[in-house]
Amino acid sequence: MLGRFLPKLSVLVCAMAAMAGPALAADQPLKVGWNSELSGVWTFFGNACLDGARLAETEVNAKGKKIDLIVQDNQSNPAQAAAVARSLDTQEKVDLLSGPTNADVSLAVYGYAEDAKLPVLMPVAAFPQLTKPGTKQVFRMEPDAVGWGYAAVKFIKTMKSDAKIGVMMSDFAVNRAILAGLKYQAERDGIAIVAEMLFPQSASDATVQTAQMKAKKPDFVILAGGGAFDATLTRQMLDVGFKPEQLYHPYGSTKQIMTWGERSIGSYFGTFFDHNLPNLTEQGKAFVENFRKVKNYPPGYTENYCYSTVYLLNELVDKGAKGRDGIRAALREVNTKEVTTGVPIRFDQNGARIEYMYLMQLKSLSKDDFKTEKVNYMEWSPEVLPVYDLVR
Amino acid sequence: MRILVIAMVIATPLVAIFGLRNDFLVFIAGIALIHMLWASGLNLLYGFTGLIPLTYAGIAGISAYMTVHLVMRLGLSFWLALPIGSAAAALVGLLLSLPAIRLRGFYFALSGMVIQSAFTIAFVYFPAYTNGDTGIASVPRPTGFDGGAIPSPYMECVLALFVIAAVAGIGLTMRSRFGRTLITIREDEDLARALGINVTLNRTAAFIISSFIAGLGGGLYAHYIGFASPRAFDVLISLNLWLMVAMGGRGTLVGPLLGALLLAPLPYLLVQYTWVKDVIYGVAIVLVTLFLPQGIYGFVLKRKART
Amino acid sequence: MLEENLLVVFSVITSGLLVGTIFSVVAAGLSLIHGTILLPQAANGQVFLGAGLLFWLFGTEWEWPLWLAVPTTFLIIGFLAFACEATILKRFYPLEDRNISYLIITLGIAQILSGIYTGTFGRISDTFQVTAPVNGFAIIEPVPIAYTRLIAFVLAGSVLGGLVAFLRLHRIGRALRAVFQNREAARLRGIDTLKIYRFAFLLGTAITTAGGILFALAFALDLTVGWTISLITFSIMIVGGPGSVVGALVVGLVFGFTQAIVSVFADPTVATFAYLLAMLAMLFIRPSGLFAK
Repeated sequence: MLGRFLPKLSVLVCAMAAMAGPALAADQPLKVGWNSELSGVWTFFGNACLDGARLAETEVNAKGKKIDLIVQDNQSNPAQAAAVARSLDTQEKVDLLSGPTNADVSLAVYGYAEDAKLPVLMPVAAFPQLTKPGTKQVFRMEPDAVGWGYAAVKFIKTMKSDAKIGVMMSDFAVNRAILAGLKYQAERDGIAIVAEMLFPQSASDATVQTAQMKAKKPDFVILAGGGAFDATLTRQMLDVGFKPEQLYHPYGSTKQIMTWGERSIGSYFGTFFDHNLPNLTEQGKAFVENFRKVKNYPPGYTENYCYSTVYLLNELVDKGAKGRDGIRAALREVNTKEVTTGVPIRFDQNGARIEYMYLMQLKSLSKDDFKTEKVNYMEWSPEVLPVYDLVR
Repeated sequence: MRILVIAMVIATPLVAIFGLRNDFLVFIAGIALIHMLWASGLNLLYGFTGLIPLTYAGIAGISAYMTVHLVMRLGLSFWLALPIGSAAAALVGLLLSLPAIRLRGFYFALSGMVIQSAFTIAFVYFPAYTNGDTGIASVPRPTGFDGGAIPSPYMECVLALFVIAAVAGIGLTMRSRFGRTLITIREDEDLARALGINVTLNRTAAFIISSFIAGLGGGLYAHYIGFASPRAFDVLISLNLWLMVAMGGRGTLVGPLLGALLLAPLPYLLVQYTWVKDVIYGVAIVLVTLFLPQGIYGFVLKRKART
Repeated sequence: MLEENLLVVFSVITSGLLVGTIFSVVAAGLSLIHGTILLPQAANGQVFLGAGLLFWLFGTEWEWPLWLAVPTTFLIIGFLAFACEATILKRFYPLEDRNISYLIITLGIAQILSGIYTGTFGRISDTFQVTAPVNGFAIIEPVPIAYTRLIAFVLAGSVLGGLVAFLRLHRIGRALRAVFQNREAARLRGIDTLKIYRFAFLLGTAITTAGGILFALAFALDLTVGWTISLITFSIMIVGGPGSVVGALVVGLVFGFTQAIVSVFADPTVATFAYLLAMLAMLFIRPSGLFAK
């Protein structure tokens, strides 16, 4: 163990000495502490995100190193994530943090960063409290999950104005947030929620619940299982006689969509990026192709957010931002577009981004690809919902 | 002699704290100290009464949530909230000792595993107190005399004091009549009954003390890390704590300290190695069980006895 | 309304039966091992998961035909089990109180396997859904049941039936039962207990493997399933009585039906609490297991 740390310590000592001396060289790359879920429950999300980020890192560093991702594993565990944030802060002396993809882990990073005054750019973490009023250090690329529930209701209302809906979800933080937004908006839009079922995280079968849901005769059912349960839940809903057009997933990542099965063709889902979108920029199309070359499947919103995060940082570096204060100030002032889709990127005073969502319908499915069609796009201000009161 | 060894083991994290002056290592030392506290408390049950309490992390979790609730919602001082939380943990421990009246050894361990799973689900299912799967973020550090948060590395010294107090307490208990009674029960329950010892009463007492220590560790952990979530107190944590005791050497004062010192920092030090750490952890467990069945310190003692 | 109620009732039956029998199969494997060798195989959930994952890798990802995918899965896991028995587990056979050592060791093995899955399958996906060998439904008016689930149920039933028959009728099966009824007496009757131990471990592992494959057919897998399965099947095994296949079946069905029936009246989390409570209650009533020798 000591063998690994002695070199680091010497680097640390040198760094301190260097700081006392002349200012650092101007062309040093931006050090991004990537605090990511590379083992534990969220392994796949962490890895998918890192895949996107690594691709962008390679591209922007093609002519000289500009961005340096320093990757550490938080094991999908909040305590570990706090420790990793500390390690990246004090050992690696990073300019900012990024990388967490899940609510509890990113909240732990939030707690550390706000105390340590270390800026964080969250690539895929949707939990509203990450940008609660008074937030100084944290900026969030992904719209908050309460809004995803809002979008679901707004979308269903366009399909049937007095629809009855059912909700089936695994009991995860992000799903509770979606549910909160969903209930809030459903009440205001005259959409009746006829059944609401929260499954424990370890659930693997929903035969009885799907039959009960069938008995309630909802027009649409909103499904958000966790992990493998999402695939089982979707199949069992179809087994019991629901039409795919009645199913709506509030979010869909590539691998998740591909496990819903062919019978789910026709079902709807919300997302923030899809390789079938007509409005992809040239770079967006190149991203999809280059990603496919590496991974043999198209990138989804997770990969895209992490890819765009690195590009956003690259843009800030190009504009001359450096150091923690420089990066934080630049993020506050940012007014640009996502490189892949052209969706605007601006952060409000709490670090939240304008809310938006693409509503997609699944059209075909093969082993390593799927086709979708955009049926709707929505944009709204975070203020239309009292998000910070709805979810704590 | 034994005191010297104990002092050395507890001092190791302190060396990290003052010798290396590295913020990250100081933090890991703090984590190791909290695990030392837990392992010592668990050893009181596993080492001295033979019961394997796989509910240990759940008990710690109850105290953690209680303490956090009292501090963050009701504005109590941490130092007032901690004993209340720990008392609640002790109370739960009292209830959880009931299965021991009927279940032995492996069966008791299993009942613990079932109850622990129920705890974890409950922590997620009742968000009013626990904030569910989201967890509670930005839990404040314990406050010092001046009302401000105790800064590192003084906080770690406070943790070390807790460990010293717990180890001293357990050491004294073991020398007392109560301690000897517990060991008699562990060695031969029927004999103990024949001697007129109230087995259930003594064992329940051990359970309460041990749960109280779990509670102390739980409250300290949440406020030290700054976060409380169901996954920090699940069955895998219970198993890991038990492994620390088994690997270090059960039934000794040094063993659990040693086990915690070796195993607790491992995941934090291997942050760049992702899944490899699980494999290393597993291989270490298998090797120790194969070649040092009494645990590391048990092995040392045996070697000494032989020479 | 009648039709809907019928649907719910049928779903309770199908869910209870399917979940119950699949979990029974896994618990039976565990029970066989623990009953014979006094080895609480805590890595059984990871073996189960490994079986499902390999089956998915061969059958779905690499698109091998079933007749190749299934035996290969069994062969790989069988070989690993054999290696593990010969190098590690064997050393503890002479010890009287080996079950705690075994518990620690198998937990270590579980950690190793879990780490390996994270580093390999964890990079590929978070959901492993096996492509159904047959599509479509059997309609038992008015209830549709997917063929895959029906097949999984029938196979699970056959595995259990075959196991019971083997233990009662075959010479080796009888010897196995003799060992878990009375070790000493079995030795005196000239049964080579060490050989029986090895056989029991391999057979138990094979049955766990079968359970993993059946689960993958009927549901879907992710990397967290292993620990959940371990916990549930350990409970089923202990409550049913270690060594008793019938016990595992009965308690497995009780588990499946408790969850299904409570789900009708309460939310799924309460249903989970309910079966945990049922397990605890049974453990208190008969700590040695309902169907112990």
